[in-house]
Amino acid sequence: MSRARLSTGNLPTVVRVVLVVLGLGVLLAVPDLARVTPLSFATIHKGLLFGLAAVGLNLLLRHTELVSFGHVAFFGTGAYGAAVLATYYEVSSGLVLLAGAVLAATAVALVVGYLVAGHLDIYFALLTLAFNQVLFAFVVQSSFFNSTDGLSVRAGGVDRPSLLGLDQLLVSAGLDPVQAYNYVLYYLTVAILVVMVLVTWKLVNSPFGRALDAIGQDRTRARFIGIPVERYVWIAFTISGIYGGIAGGLFALLQLHVRPEPVLFAFVSGEILFMAILGGVGTLVGPVVGGVILVYLLDLARFYVTYYHALTGIVLLAVVYFLPEGVLGSLPALGAAIDRRRRDPGLVRNDVEAVVSSVRRGVHRAVTTVRILVFGVN
Amino acid sequence: MFESLPYHALNGLYYGFILFMIAAGLTIVFGVLGVLNLAHGELYALGSFVAFSIVGYLTGLMAEPTGPVTALIFGAVVLAGSLAAAAVLLPVGATLEAAFVRPIYDRDDVYQLLLTYALLLILTDVMKFVWGAKPLDVGVYGELNAIPTTELFGISYPTYNVVVVAVGLVVFGWLVWFFDRTKTGRIVRATAIDREMATAIGVSTDRIFTLVFAMGAFFAGFGGAMVSIGPGSAYLEMGLSPLVLSFVVIVIGGLGSLRGALVGALLVGVSTRVVTPYYPELELAAPFVLMVLVLLVRPEGLYGTWGEIE
Repeated sequence: MSRARLSTGNLPTVVRVVLVVLGLGVLLAVPDLARVTPLSFATIHKGLLFGLAAVGLNLLLRHTELVSFGHVAFFGTGAYGAAVLATYYEVSSGLVLLAGAVLAATAVALVVGYLVAGHLDIYFALLTLAFNQVLFAFVVQSSFFNSTDGLSVRAGGVDRPSLLGLDQLLVSAGLDPVQAYNYVLYYLTVAILVVMVLVTWKLVNSPFGRALDAIGQDRTRARFIGIPVERYVWIAFTISGIYGGIAGGLFALLQLHVRPEPVLFAFVSGEILFMAILGGVGTLVGPVVGGVILVYLLDLARFYVTYYHALTGIVLLAVVYFLPEGVLGSLPALGAAIDRRRRDPGLVRNDVEAVVSSVRRGVHRAVTTVRILVFGVN
Repeated sequence: MFESLPYHALNGLYYGFILFMIAAGLTIVFGVLGVLNLAHGELYALGSFVAFSIVGYLTGLMAEPTGPVTALIFGAVVLAGSLAAAAVLLPVGATLEAAFVRPIYDRDDVYQLLLTYALLLILTDVMKFVWGAKPLDVGVYGELNAIPTTELFGISYPTYNVVVVAVGLVVFGWLVWFFDRTKTGRIVRATAIDREMATAIGVSTDRIFTLVFAMGAFFAGFGGAMVSIGPGSAYLEMGLSPLVLSFVVIVIGGLGSLRGALVGALLVGVSTRVVTPYYPELELAAPFVLMVLVLLVRPEGLYGTWGEIE
């Protein structure tokens, strides 16, 4: 990942502030937006949670340039941390459950991070994947975690966790209990998300963040200038695991039931990684946007199209070929391109020609290849 | 308690050779192209579905075996059908490489992962479109087992498993011969070691890459075909767990090493099958525990040589 991509933000400060306020406004208005539009509130909420985990993953991906293929391990640990507290210790306070989730995820991230910090590239990716699967296999086959059936996140199996009594307040104001719970949890999520994004921003602009950048660019050089590389990678790994833990804990509170497959299976790790890329690795909140988009595609597209996997695949292909900076990261370039075409409509024709000729080239290549394979070279 | 151990070990051998066929494709693609192909599992599933159609059609043309000779002929037809099914994967793999993978060789690893994940999703739906969402079974397993070989060795063991082990050995032998003895194989290895130098001496890396990707698809498909003519059926999600397991296999063996893939596959296959009956709770974790142990001790794998096929 080139450094140049990190500085896509050459927007004027005023525009940035407006964008931030706009984004916050949309986030806060989601429950109302969901009521008047066919958007699904629960899906957006879930997308934001996976997006939060992706923000944590992006910390590792963007700065130390390490691809973790097992990050859902911490999401799952967080979710199970909350579920275990609720099921076995009858904890009913949502905040205590969240704290348990964070503690559990931190502990696991510390152990895994210590073991993987010295590895690089594909070995790092596959080692994280392996730890992820060990954890998955352990949970699936352990009766303590109730195997594939999973655990409930209701204390004593009945009550929803309480959220600072705010949900009770809304209920006494005449709101449906389920709705009240979901609303309070959503705003709690938004608050945590905002705080975590700010934390990320502070972190990457701190000396520690710069050191991570240095490690990502060249480990040997980083070591020469006195950065304790392995220890910093370990710390960064643990921090990024904590994001996953918080997101997982909130996910447990949202779903009220935790099963191993949606929160621990290796392919969900891949999805979290792809959310970060989809939204824009070089941006701060891109992973959140990517999270909402991908969860939407994977969860809801099936109700509209039969072949929703292919639809998701095509969207990802489009990102790979046309939006290498991700959806959010490409916005400035895209805006500039549209602006140029508005001033000079002739460019559009060139675009169409470029697309047609590249398709023609692709088909020609494929035909040549098949011919070579069938009839030998040339 | 341990009388059945040889039986479990044999089962593990069979399972290991299936894994080897899948992992061999993955490892040559990774060794030469440097792309970790997430769609590999779907190519395996595709081989399974195509085998359902081709082998199903072929065996439908002939009568059920009545004696040892007819059973042998039947077996030969089934094997030929599986090869034909895998051959279908050659143009599929070549087209995927030329059209989709080629533009992204110089991009970051994550984009290659993202692209192959997208291909995985699209291939899943292509199969859903062609064969439907229900599992399909060729159902020639019983007839295959009519070939009498098992009594010869003193223990009763399904012929089909013996066939798979033999086929796996042939595949390994062919791959070693191809990369060691043929000119094309040496050119492929040269390309894997140094792309620029290979280009400089007049090798078309594009074609080599296409060929290797097509070969990878072929072996994935062949593995799938071998599974679906056995007791397994072809279903849409079948690619996931072999994909993850063949990661484990090639990491244990060392990325890009064929010998490593064989040893890794047999280790994973035998250890899971031997451990499972005694410690069922380790069934899923055993391969990953093995992988973690190997990686922590020897990060480059048992036969690790970067980007060099041997």
